[in-house]
Amino acid sequence: MIEVRNISKSFGEEQILKNISLTFERGKTNLIIGQSGSGKTVLLKSIVGIHEIDEGEIIFGGQVYSSMDRKEKQKIRQEIGMVFQGGALFDSYTVYENVIFPLRMFSGMSKKEMNKRVDFCLDRVNLQNVNDFYPSEISGGMQKRVAIARAIVLNPKYLFFDEPNSGLDPKTAIVIDNLIKEITVDFNTVTVINTHDMNSVAETGDNIAFIYNGQAWWTGNNKDILESENKELNEFVFATKLMRSIKK
Amino acid sequence: MEFFYHIGKYLVFLRKVFKRPQKRNIFIQNIFFEIEKLGINSVVIVFIISIFMGAVITLQTAYNIEVSFVPLYLVGLGTRDSMFLEFSSTIVALILAGKVGANIASEIGTMKIREQIEALDMMGVNSESYLVLPKIIASVFTFPLLTLFSMFVGIFGGYLAVYFTNAIPLDDFVYGIHYYFIPFYITYSLIKMAIFAFIIATVPAYQAYFIRGGALEVGKANTKAVVYSSILILFFNVIITQILLS
Repeated sequence: MIEVRNISKSFGEEQILKNISLTFERGKTNLIIGQSGSGKTVLLKSIVGIHEIDEGEIIFGGQVYSSMDRKEKQKIRQEIGMVFQGGALFDSYTVYENVIFPLRMFSGMSKKEMNKRVDFCLDRVNLQNVNDFYPSEISGGMQKRVAIARAIVLNPKYLFFDEPNSGLDPKTAIVIDNLIKEITVDFNTVTVINTHDMNSVAETGDNIAFIYNGQAWWTGNNKDILESENKELNEFVFATKLMRSIKK
Repeated sequence: MEFFYHIGKYLVFLRKVFKRPQKRNIFIQNIFFEIEKLGINSVVIVFIISIFMGAVITLQTAYNIEVSFVPLYLVGLGTRDSMFLEFSSTIVALILAGKVGANIASEIGTMKIREQIEALDMMGVNSESYLVLPKIIASVFTFPLLTLFSMFVGIFGGYLAVYFTNAIPLDDFVYGIHYYFIPFYITYSLIKMAIFAFIIATVPAYQAYFIRGGALEVGKANTKAVVYSSILILFFNVIITQILLS
C-alpha cells in the first residue's frame, strides 16, 4: 500500500499541490484523474520522488519514503516500475537492451537468466521478434509495451503510469489498459495511473482520485463516478456529448 | 550572484558525478564506448586541422623572414614550438569543445527532455555518475593522446609544405625541428589538455543536465556549452601557462 499524507508542493510562488491525502491499494488499479494543469503529473512525480515535496509524508509499505536519504530512496526505487508519458525508452538502445538494462544494473542474474526474463516480459506484453529494433523503428503502442516490459522486469512492488494512453488510438489504448489491469493482478502490484482518458477510467478504475485545483477533490471507483453529484467532477467527466449520453 | 549560483550548482553536480559507479562492468563498458565516441571519432578532424595548420604556420613563417641574418632553421623551430606549446593543446581543445562538447550537450539534453534521465533516476541509477563519469574519464585519457597525435601531424604538415614549395631548404627545416628541444613543452601541453578535457566533458554535461523545455532549449544548451567551454579553456590556458612556464 502507498499512503500520501497531507502533501503540498509549490514551484516558486505557485502552489501546485494543496494538502493532498490519498491511499493506493495493492492489487488494484488506482487512477489519478483531472484536467490538464490540475497538478496530477506533479502529484505522481512527487509520490515517486522525482519532485521533493514541501510538506507531508509519502509512505511505501510502512516506510516513510519522503524523508529517506538518496541511498535509501534508491533501494525503494528498485521496487518501483514507472512508465513515462513518452515511454522514456533509451533511443540508442535496442528493445532488448532497454528491457535488460535494469537487470544488468541491479539483478546479479547470469546472462542466460536475464535473457529468459527479458523474453518472459516481452512475451507478457505480447511483443515478439522486436528485440533488435530501436525504439524509433516501432509504433507508439509497441513503445509503450516495451516501456511496460522494462517496468516489470525487476518484479516491482509498485507500478506507476503517466498518461499511458496518450498518443494512442482507442483500440491500442484498450489493449494497454487491459494489459495494465492484468499485470496489476498477476504481479500483485500497487498500480497508480495518471490519466485523463475516460475509457481508462471506465475500464480500469478500481480506485479513482479526482484532482482539482491542486486538491484531492473526490475519491471513489468507476461505478461511483457515474452517480456522483460533485459539480467539478461532472464537468470534467461528462464534458463530451458521448459521456453525457452515458450518464442519461 | 547568478555566476556564484552556477559555480555552486556545478560543484554539487560534480560531487554526484564522482560517486562510486553502481556496476563496475557496465561502467568499464561505458568508458570504452565513450573512448570510441569522443576520442577515436575525433582523430580525423584533429588530423585534418593539424596537418593544414602545421603547413600554414611553416609557410607564413618562411615567407615573413625577410631579414637575411635570421637563420632559416627558425622556421622549423617556430613550427615545432607553435604546435607543441599552443596549437596541439589549446586550439585542438577549442575544436573539440565545438565537436565533442556539442555532442555531449545534445545527447544529455535530449535524454533530459524525453524523460530518459528521470527514468534512470526512477530505476535507482545515479544518472549523473552513469552518464557523465565515463565521458570525463574517456576525455581526460584520450584527448592528451590526440594532442600528441596533433603535434606529430602538424610537424609532418610543415615538412610536406616545405617539401612541395621549397620555401626554405628542407635540411634547415629538419634542423630547426631538432634545434633546442625542451621536452617539458610536451608535458606542459599534455597537462593543459587533460584539464581542458575535463572542462569539455563537464561543462556541456552541466549545461544540458538542468535544461527544462523542449528542442529549442537543447539547441540553446548546445550553444552555451560550446561558448562557456571555449571561454573557460582560454581562461585556464592563461592560468596554467603562468603556473607551469613562469
